[in-house]
Amino acid sequence: MSQSGQRGPTGPDTDTTVIARTVTRLVVPIILLNAVALLLQGHNLPGGGFIAGVLTVTAFALVYVIFGREYLQRELLHSDASDGFFDGAVGEYSRTFTFGLALAALSGAGAIVLPAALGGEPFPFLSQAVVFVEHVPLYHEIEIPTALFFDLGVYFVVVGALLTILAVVGAE
Amino acid sequence: MQPEPAVLLAVLALPFLGAALIPLVYRVLGERTAYFAAGVAAVCLALLFTQYGMEGRVVVEWIPQLNANLVLYLDGLAFLIALLASGVGVLIFTYSGGYMHGEPWQAKYYTSLLVFMGAMLGVALAADLIALFVFWELTSVASFVLIGHYQRSESSRYAARKSMLITVSGGLFMLVGFLLLRFVAADAIGQATFALVGSPDSMIANAEAMRAALEESGLYLPVLALVGIGAAAKSAQVPLHIWLPDAMEAPTPVSAFLHSATMVKAGVYLVGRFRPLLITDEWMLAFAVLGLVTMTVAAILAVGATDIKELLAYSTASHLGLIVAGFGIANVYGGETGVLHILNHAVFKASLFLVAGIVAHEAGTRAIAELGGLREDLPITAGITAIAALGMAGLPPFNGFYSKELLFEATYEVGLEHGGLWWLLPVVAVFGSVFTFLYSIRFLMLFFGEKPSGLGEVHRPPWAMLAPPLLLAGIASYQALSYTGILPQVFLSGIADPALASVSAGEEAHHFDIHFPTKLSPYVLMSVVTIALGAVAYPFYDRLHHGVRRVRSVDLLSPNAYYDGGIAALVSVSDYVPRYVQTRLLRTYASTVMLGVCALGLGGYAAAGADIPAIGQLAQSVAAFVAGPAGLAIAIVLGVALVGAVAVSVAPSHIAGVLTLSILGFMVAVFYVLASAPDLALTQLVIETLVLVIFLLVLDKLPAFYGDLDVREAIPDALVAAVVGITVTFTVLTTTTDRPDTIARFFVERAPVPDEHGHVLLDYGGGGNVVNVILVDFRALDTMGEISVVAMAALAVLTLVGMRNRGENA
Repeated sequence: MSQSGQRGPTGPDTDTTVIARTVTRLVVPIILLNAVALLLQGHNLPGGGFIAGVLTVTAFALVYVIFGREYLQRELLHSDASDGFFDGAVGEYSRTFTFGLALAALSGAGAIVLPAALGGEPFPFLSQAVVFVEHVPLYHEIEIPTALFFDLGVYFVVVGALLTILAVVGAE
Repeated sequence: MQPEPAVLLAVLALPFLGAALIPLVYRVLGERTAYFAAGVAAVCLALLFTQYGMEGRVVVEWIPQLNANLVLYLDGLAFLIALLASGVGVLIFTYSGGYMHGEPWQAKYYTSLLVFMGAMLGVALAADLIALFVFWELTSVASFVLIGHYQRSESSRYAARKSMLITVSGGLFMLVGFLLLRFVAADAIGQATFALVGSPDSMIANAEAMRAALEESGLYLPVLALVGIGAAAKSAQVPLHIWLPDAMEAPTPVSAFLHSATMVKAGVYLVGRFRPLLITDEWMLAFAVLGLVTMTVAAILAVGATDIKELLAYSTASHLGLIVAGFGIANVYGGETGVLHILNHAVFKASLFLVAGIVAHEAGTRAIAELGGLREDLPITAGITAIAALGMAGLPPFNGFYSKELLFEATYEVGLEHGGLWWLLPVVAVFGSVFTFLYSIRFLMLFFGEKPSGLGEVHRPPWAMLAPPLLLAGIASYQALSYTGILPQVFLSGIADPALASVSAGEEAHHFDIHFPTKLSPYVLMSVVTIALGAVAYPFYDRLHHGVRRVRSVDLLSPNAYYDGGIAALVSVSDYVPRYVQTRLLRTYASTVMLGVCALGLGGYAAAGADIPAIGQLAQSVAAFVAGPAGLAIAIVLGVALVGAVAVSVAPSHIAGVLTLSILGFMVAVFYVLASAPDLALTQLVIETLVLVIFLLVLDKLPAFYGDLDVREAIPDALVAAVVGITVTFTVLTTTTDRPDTIARFFVERAPVPDEHGHVLLDYGGGGNVVNVILVDFRALDTMGEISVVAMAALAVLTLVGMRNRGENA
């Protein structure tokens, strides 16, 4: 599986089959696209930040299994193993979930801050609102719930946290 | 008059703020940090004085909905204790500026000393039992840090641990007593309250009702004992006094501050504060006996001391005993004794400790046998010592004489009133005082007589070290003169009288009336007997000293031996813990955790009286479900899932196990689809896929096939598995058969399936997906908590697994 054979400086660092690698190349973008679709449609159709996050992690995990940890870090995240513990991939992941948590909290604080800034009564923490943008080409009408930002936060937390766990445990 | 809330709060908050700033200040000022800390204490003292004469409470709201507030209360007693904490604090910090010159860890020293001062002010000002308890334990923690200041020395660590164990565990007893008081308050006052003092619905305001309710419920004696243990541990009463002599490992200013003037006063403060609430004959028996026994035993032990700080430590315990006895005695003189001696003792004992610090610093030894004739080199110090030590001895006209007179008067009155065995109180009081006289004179004699040949050159102390004891000696002389009637009685009328009002219970309004005795009364006679016996016995001091040491060395009579034995037993018991609990085997930890969760869960159900759902009803609903529109498909899917489950348990290898487990998972996902739960199905599918991929990742690290089964290991594992399985099944059954809770009912009522489905969701949540709208809108705070948990799990993995080897290298 991900057990390495001979590793050249540029060659593939795993001993998986050509079929597996080709299929992965093909499938990973589709999975990611699906994840984004699930995230965006979550408010009205099955989906949402959590599912989208787990799906994204699945795509990463696939790359991980087929191409190896080093490849993932080098080619996708442009960091290499010689970087320190927190400068490498793990650092990216932990920053991701930190960002997600902050985004979720800030989107909730928006309900307090924004009305106050506009001169109205503040809503309780995490109150959500919906804005409909009309006359948009192709879509005609787009619904932007503030919950989307909260959901994005959920998404980033799930992606960052699961990838952290995957990277740390996988490195053992 | 009501105290000013902002000022009272500032008095409490300033020491903590100052403590937080110390590390920064220390970088700038270095050793002069002492004067910064002294400044903080001085500001506290000044602010406190602006509130002089005020009485009332200050409420700082914290969580008003839960009635959780910080309530401060200022009255005479609180003022007295706060005055000692901040006033002696100023002197101690100034003195430290000289004493701590060149000592290590000064930033830590000043930080913990300021925290201690703040905690002590908190103890004095707290108006409810919880705040009192928190500050009380905070003084113990600060004292632990300060006693262990020389953290590299084994004896410091031993002393710090000892004081921590004794004072903190005493505090826990006290906490139980407080909880009992709250429980009783529900009957007596009409509501369960922690308010101790200051408001109409506080315990002390309803002291009669509280006492009646306590007696009626049979809780009076338990409460008395529990609170008494807390006070005794803190105030070093026999037999819990053993930590105090060891605490002398701390730098001398700490000993002077914590172990003579303030922290040990927390215990007597508690006794004084509870006096109006709990006073009865049982109270008198408990505290008068405890106090007098402590006074006598500790005075005898002080005679056996070989080190000047040890002598002062035992003497402190002895004088605390005197104060406790005073508060214990249920007549007006008892309260007077306690209050007046708190004040007098703080003044003379703090200056004696500072003198001991000067002697140790300048002569280089603390051994009594090696010291003598210091008068020539330290003339000013000798003068200070004379005033303080004669006060401690109870010689007229020095300050200690008057409080001791009050004790004699109080005990004599008790004997007169109750007769019989109560006559022992005055006898013991005189007997103990003889020893007090002896060791006080012995301490004074360090400065007289001939200088031993071994004693090297003795330097003059710096002014920073000399000024504080000099000031205290000045106060002591003023006290002596004013009690005698030559100077106005500022301390009595200004400080002691209001404090007396706080500790008096049901006794008619009383004021101090102190003057130099001109007629021969029984208690004057007691003083005369004391001094005469002391003077006769003093030539035999060395024999007494050796006699005491010989008795002390008998293990059976020494509480220390019991303490050490108890600790050794604890250590050997805790050796068993790693053998059975911390085995370094994952399986042990997993089964411990899982069994613990099961025990808690099942215990919770048992406590809540949850019923086991009727099996018949369950079968009925399953049958109805299968007979529904998608019944056949569901039955098939669940059947396949069952086959998968059985296949997992008989799988010969990890690959087979993982794949069959996935069958089970995917079947559950299909079941969700059939049961019209697309979101759940999606989640289940994605998670199942991810788990499968991760399994593939780690699979080649595991052995390909399972090992042979060892029956001895398998049976306990099977038991654990069975318990966990039963708990989970029971949980699922009880939670799903229960009536819909309020959240579910909210949606069932407003968004009925299928016609209006989404109506409310669209109106309120702006979305059509009920699951998602609930997650991100209606119950967004729950989701917030859940993602925090996810992030926390990642952090835990990061630190526990990823960084586990960093501790040693970083």
